[in-house]
Amino acid sequence: MSETRFITTQALAELTAELLAAGTRVVAPAEAADGAVDYQVISNAKDVVLDERMPRRSLRGFFQPPTEQVFTWNRTDSGFSLKPVDLSTEPWVVLGARPCDAAGAAAIDAVMNGEPKDDLWMRRRETVTVIGLACAAMGPGCFCELVGKGPADTTGSDILLRPAQGGYIVEIVTPRGQAFVEAHSAKFTSTDAEVQAPPKRYDPAPMDRIEAWLEANFNDEFWQELSLRCLGCGTCTSICPTCYCFDIVDEPVGTSAGARRRNWDTCQVGLFTLHASGHNPRPEQTNRCRQRIMHKFYIYPHRHDILLCTGCGRCVVACPTGVNLPEILTGIAGRAGEDTTMGGPA
Amino acid sequence: MKELQDLARTLLSDGTVQVVIGWEDGPTGARPVFVTSPEGADKLIFDTRCVHNLATFLSPRRSHVARLGKAAVVVKGCDARAVAMLLRESQIKREDIVLIGVRCGGVQKDPASKEPLTAATVADKCTGCDVREPHLADHVVGELPQAPPNDDARERFIEELSAMPASERWEFWQTAFARCVRCNACREVCPLCTCERCIVDKTQPRWIEPSAHPAAIMAWQITRAQHHAGRCSDCGECARVCPAGIPLDVLNREMARILQIRFDYTATDDPEAPAPLGAFRTDDGQEFIR
Repeated sequence: MSETRFITTQALAELTAELLAAGTRVVAPAEAADGAVDYQVISNAKDVVLDERMPRRSLRGFFQPPTEQVFTWNRTDSGFSLKPVDLSTEPWVVLGARPCDAAGAAAIDAVMNGEPKDDLWMRRRETVTVIGLACAAMGPGCFCELVGKGPADTTGSDILLRPAQGGYIVEIVTPRGQAFVEAHSAKFTSTDAEVQAPPKRYDPAPMDRIEAWLEANFNDEFWQELSLRCLGCGTCTSICPTCYCFDIVDEPVGTSAGARRRNWDTCQVGLFTLHASGHNPRPEQTNRCRQRIMHKFYIYPHRHDILLCTGCGRCVVACPTGVNLPEILTGIAGRAGEDTTMGGPA
Repeated sequence: MKELQDLARTLLSDGTVQVVIGWEDGPTGARPVFVTSPEGADKLIFDTRCVHNLATFLSPRRSHVARLGKAAVVVKGCDARAVAMLLRESQIKREDIVLIGVRCGGVQKDPASKEPLTAATVADKCTGCDVREPHLADHVVGELPQAPPNDDARERFIEELSAMPASERWEFWQTAFARCVRCNACREVCPLCTCERCIVDKTQPRWIEPSAHPAAIMAWQITRAQHHAGRCSDCGECARVCPAGIPLDVLNREMARILQIRFDYTATDDPEAPAPLGAFRTDDGQEFIR
């Protein structure tokens, strides 16, 4: 499915306007009030920003809102009733998803589309057409290549737009992408334009060696070193395209009604693992920092064969104390390299 | 720089402290560093990118840092205000810490900045700075630089906000808080959020719902602001970390302005100064309390 087409900048704007006119929900990068770029629900095709500026937060919130209702309950004299949330979702479009964000949502599917299937997540995943936008430049924190991705990676995109003279070369990635292009065929032309080589910053890190080191070094002093500057704010997890952990709470209204909601949670705070007994298996920030790395680079790949990091680099930029994931990964790779039992040089 | 490094080396070699908490030049700008051996002292820097308030590492909640042993902390004059508050509230003991004060001529908004310090890049908290020379420190290093460039944009914005009709001001904060995802990052980075168990984490009873719905967000944000009234040192770390870009420092400054009017109190680096909400005065401006 590596068919290519071409769409002019003008035709893409017209296509966006047509989608909006037809009532389709379109999410795309757009300027926020403070001038930064965020993914937003678009109301005017002119607001779409497809330049080099990386959206401040990932797409996660559009698949899993920070707070989401699961059901409401009501108790009356005649009994008790539960009303599940309406799961029906109209087809919608993400336009201009960064490859790291498209791949991030796809990585989370591995756990959400398992057994049991998570309907709240999957209803939005199954109805979305993701139009990815290959990056023409590296942002300040970007490290996608280090984790085996890249600025033109197609994972998670149904269609990938690659910037070219006067418009975009359109790479059709999935049957859903194919159907989308066919449904709007007048906007696309055939092309023999050559794609430009994407920008490059890193070589891929030796992920299997890193995974092996993580498996064998749960109690290494590295974790203490790593965690000292960490304040446990969890901002790295709030802006991450691959963090999905949530907490479930019941919030009553009066004594006879209420709602069950699920909210973003973060492994970086103590409450995440605090037991009702008062015991906390991750009592200190050292344990929590280790968990973040373990989940992304050992536990998840071990279980689902997918890294839980796409190298978007937002955590690098957002961390208030300069915790730096590329530095951590190369640090672990270095340790794994020195240790001959890890398959590194003898 | 050499003066700072030499001092840290001495403190570590003669066993005065087991760790020096300062700044280093990291892969993406200045960042906190924990030096535990005399050889490591060469890493220490201080320049205009050192915006972080390292006093937050003294909070008793950070047990993984406390485990390193007695600490010397590098503080700017403004950071010393947070240390003074920790002392005033008996969270730390003066004899348990060594304070290395750095003379400061202002810091940048962004610790990764490569730009010179100008009115455009200077942190809001530096405007009108009166503590370029730290008072509370055991050692003070560096030359006294010029006063920071003045950017009073935040102060002007606060005046504009105060001049608004209450309904407009309410709308401004509602719009800002609508972005809150209830991540609690503002709480976690705060040097003065020292509660062992935050009210927002309590469930029996549940005082504040944890969801990001308008009523719960407002309950949290009002509680946070109120609890910092008369305590906040205006380091601005809550606003710097907020992933939703909520100007929490503006709210803190407004609380400080009200404290100044009502209680004649300004955040200070004097640990002996009575806390406005924790001291009884026979000449208190508030009649109901006398």
